[in-house]
This record gives sequence, C-alpha cells and structure tokens, in this order.
Amino acid sequence: MLTKRQNLLETIKGGNPDRFVNQYEFMEIILEVPSKLMAEPGTEFKNDWGITFRWPEGQLGQFPVHDEEHKVLKDITEWRNYVKAPVINNSDEAWAAAVAHASSVDRKDQFVTAFVAPGVFEMCHHLMSMEDALMALYEEPEAMHELIDYLTEYELNYAKVLIDRLHPDALFHHDDWGSQKSSFISPAMFEEFYLPAYKKIYGFYKQNGVELIVHHSDSYAANLVPFMIEMGIDIWQGVMTTNNTPELIKNYGKQITFMGDIDSGVVDFPGWTPEIVAREVERACKNCGKLYFIPNLTQGLNFSSFPGVYQCASEAIDKISKEMF
Amino acid sequence: MSKIEEVKANVEKGKAKIVPGLIQEALDEGNAAEIILQAMIDSMGVVGDRFSAGDIFVPEMLMAAKAMSKGVEVLKPHLVSDNTSSLGTCVIGTVEGDLHDIGKNLVKMMLESAGFKMVDLGVDVSASKFIDAVKENENVTLVACSGLLTTTMTAMRSTIQALKDSGLSGFKVIVGGAPVTAEYAAEIGADGFAPDAGSAAVKAQELVKG
Repeated sequence: MLTKRQNLLETIKGGNPDRFVNQYEFMEIILEVPSKLMAEPGTEFKNDWGITFRWPEGQLGQFPVHDEEHKVLKDITEWRNYVKAPVINNSDEAWAAAVAHASSVDRKDQFVTAFVAPGVFEMCHHLMSMEDALMALYEEPEAMHELIDYLTEYELNYAKVLIDRLHPDALFHHDDWGSQKSSFISPAMFEEFYLPAYKKIYGFYKQNGVELIVHHSDSYAANLVPFMIEMGIDIWQGVMTTNNTPELIKNYGKQITFMGDIDSGVVDFPGWTPEIVAREVERACKNCGKLYFIPNLTQGLNFSSFPGVYQCASEAIDKISKEMF
Repeated sequence: MSKIEEVKANVEKGKAKIVPGLIQEALDEGNAAEIILQAMIDSMGVVGDRFSAGDIFVPEMLMAAKAMSKGVEVLKPHLVSDNTSSLGTCVIGTVEGDLHDIGKNLVKMMLESAGFKMVDLGVDVSASKFIDAVKENENVTLVACSGLLTTTMTAMRSTIQALKDSGLSGFKVIVGGAPVTAEYAAEIGADGFAPDAGSAAVKAQELVKG
C-alpha cells in the first residue's frame, strides 16, 4: 500500500495510485502561526491590517465589516495613507507551537503544509469592500497595481519567515476568485492584475523547496485554469461542480489536479444524511476518475460546518476506493 | 451616431466620466429627458443580458451602473416628474442568518437602473423587518429576498410565509441566490425567481408590469 504522500504523487502525475486520495489526508496543515485569522462565533476582531471581522452567533463564518466606520481603505488613490503592512512576528516564542507541530509530522507519509489566507485578491476587497475594489480596477488601475505590488511584497516577506521556520513541503493558499457561477473578474483583467502577483508568490515558494502548491477557491474559476497552471498551482482545491470538473480533467489534468467536486452546500447542511453524502461521493468519483482528481468537500479546510459530514465523506471515499481500485 | 446612441453606448461601456457630459449635450440638442432616461434603462438591460450570458463580469456591471447613476443626476432636474422610479418601490435584503451581500447589491443596482426606488435593508434581515419596510414605505411593488447559503433557504421560505400571513398586498416577491432554483422559488410561494442580477431586472419588470 502506498503512503499518503506516494499515493498523492501517483495521482497528480498520472501514475498508478492504489486508491483515491482521501480529501485532505496528504496535507498536515500547520495553523498555529502567530497571526490571528479567525474570530470566534459571536465575536468580532480586528486583524493585523486593521480589518474588522465579525462572526455573528448562528452564522457559518466571519465577514469583513465595510461600513464607513470600519472600512480600512477609504480612497484607493491615497492607499499609502491607509494601508500599513503589519510587522511580521518572527520570535522563537511566537513560532514555537507551529514549529513543534511541523516537527511532529512524518514527512514520508504527509506533506507539512504551510497555510496562507487571505490571498491578494481577497485582501484588496477586505480592505476596501468588493464594490470599491472591483471598480478601482477600472477607475484607478495604476493605484491598484501599486496596492497589489505592496500586498505581494508582504506575502513574500511572510513566505520567507514561513519557509525559514517550517520548511514546508506544501503550501495551502486561500484566495476566492469567483462566485458559484462565474469568476469575479474577466480572464483578461485577472491576467493583468493578479497573475503577475501570483507568479512571484508561488514561484518564490517553489524556488525555496516547497514541492506542492495547493490553491483554494471554492467557486467557478474554469476560465482561469490556464493562469493557475502558469502561476504554478499543482492542485486547485474547492473546484465546484459548476466548473464541469470531468471536462477540466480531460483538458488540463496532466498540468493541474482538481480537488473537490463534492459541493459543500449540497452535502453539508442541517438536514444532511449519509445517503446524500454517499451519492455525491460516488457521482464525483465515477465522473472524474482515478487520475488528476481528489474527491473532497469544497470547504477550505478539513472539517465540515455540520458535525459528521466530513468524516462521512471520508468513509464513503474509502468505500468507493475499494470498489474502483 | 446620434447623441442618444452615444449615451447608450457609453452607459453600456461604463464610462461614468463621459456620460454626464453626453447627457447634457443630448439635452442641449433638444432631446426629451424621458427619452434619454429610457435609453439608459435600455442600456442597462443590455448590460444585464450580457452579464447573464457570461460576456461581462462584475466590474463591468458596476461601472455601467455607476455611469447610469451619474447620468441620472444630470437628468433629474429636467424630468417632468421624479419618474426615475416609475416602477415603484422595491424592498430588498439578504434573509435572516445570511451575511452575503455582493449578489444582493448587484441586484439592487440593476433594479434601480431599471426604474425602481430601492429600500435596502442590508443583510441578516428578519421576516418582521421585511414586513415593517413594506408598511413604512410608499408604493411598494416588489420585495426581493436574497440568500447564498443552503442553510438559510428555510429563512427565505419563512419570510415569504410571513409576508403572506401579514395581510399586506400590492407587491410581488422575487427570490434569488446561488442555491435557489426556479422549482424551490415556486415551492415556497415566491412570485418570481432570477438566477443572476441581469435576469433579476428583467423578471422584476415583468412581475410589476403584470
């Protein structure tokens, strides 16, 4: 039996995997970094950039707050006055828990995986609201290029610390680039503004020993796949069924692997049942096949919103592996 | 190209800086304000159709709506009555338990461009807030409920039920959001459904004009 790592590599390289890669099993994600990323349910917090996130009680996640009082970037032409990159905490003490976690991983079995979120696109709209950020791409393109360069520089500085501290084998990087039905911006606009940033970021990780780039965008983004390949993504996690995953595998599988095709919204809800989960797992695995595909809920981490769904999907994947391999 | 055609073309292209000047030139040429307004509404219809078809994306739609809004500012003093909201008032909000607002905001812009006066209740809106807004605003012809989460689709159902139980009348209810389908909309008693912001403007006009 192949290790999780070997099985992953066989799957993404078009070799001979002995089972489906089961969701996130190949990645041991190191989340114990110094920066606080999430509010607790029912609370709000301000992150290192000054962005306020609120997670109201009973909701499934947190949202950036963009009323006039809370919006960080109020005028894109004056972005230098509003946006100040935080100092990256690089003390031994701050990184001790993350380093200990990374050290405990058997790297022959799993990829020690650094986690970065949010990405450059999300940072733009977290700072200034989605509407302002998208209109600024048309109205103030020069300032947007400058802001994106500034955010990219910060990501590269953070990458240096992450690599130095954890020596990760893989990177799991979040940046949602679309809604469920379309990309937020056109491919041409993406190519102009965001492709260069990601070529620098992902290129830097790869040049410094990171073997695997896994990018999360639980959305439609089929029209951006050529750019994903160009920027060095090995696995697109979060691919929704709206992308026609089997078609993507057929067209691009040798260059990029697709992870998802089990839409969280369809299986992860209060009235979920093991039958619904099993049906979706079977559909995904049979439609997408054994190579260049990893069956997975589209959610961006290894859990579900409703207890039991993620585990149930893992069990269903194990079961179908036994049938199909 | 006539001045009216220039206005139409530039609203479609989202040229917010150019449109106000073109509107003024169209007025100076003697074109009626109502005709210019209708031209802009028609342009936004084209923008909505192109968005629905996947030919344009959110930034292009936002820019077109901004161009229209800037144009209306110039036009307003010249209109015989304030008939930029000739289709009545639309109360819009994302239903209780859901904080997503990007889709809702796009629909709001498109409906405003189509001729509705918009009352935006924001996100996480309870059924009672929708009902209060219908009572408190004049000439409410449409209530638009948005929801992105499968978990909040039940809130959409209870909102529609509460609106029906309230005894209020004179308005239609339209629903939308990623997990919502035409079948679900019909099942929960909505009058209309739209899969995206462009279609929402078309459907809303159909519903209100009867």
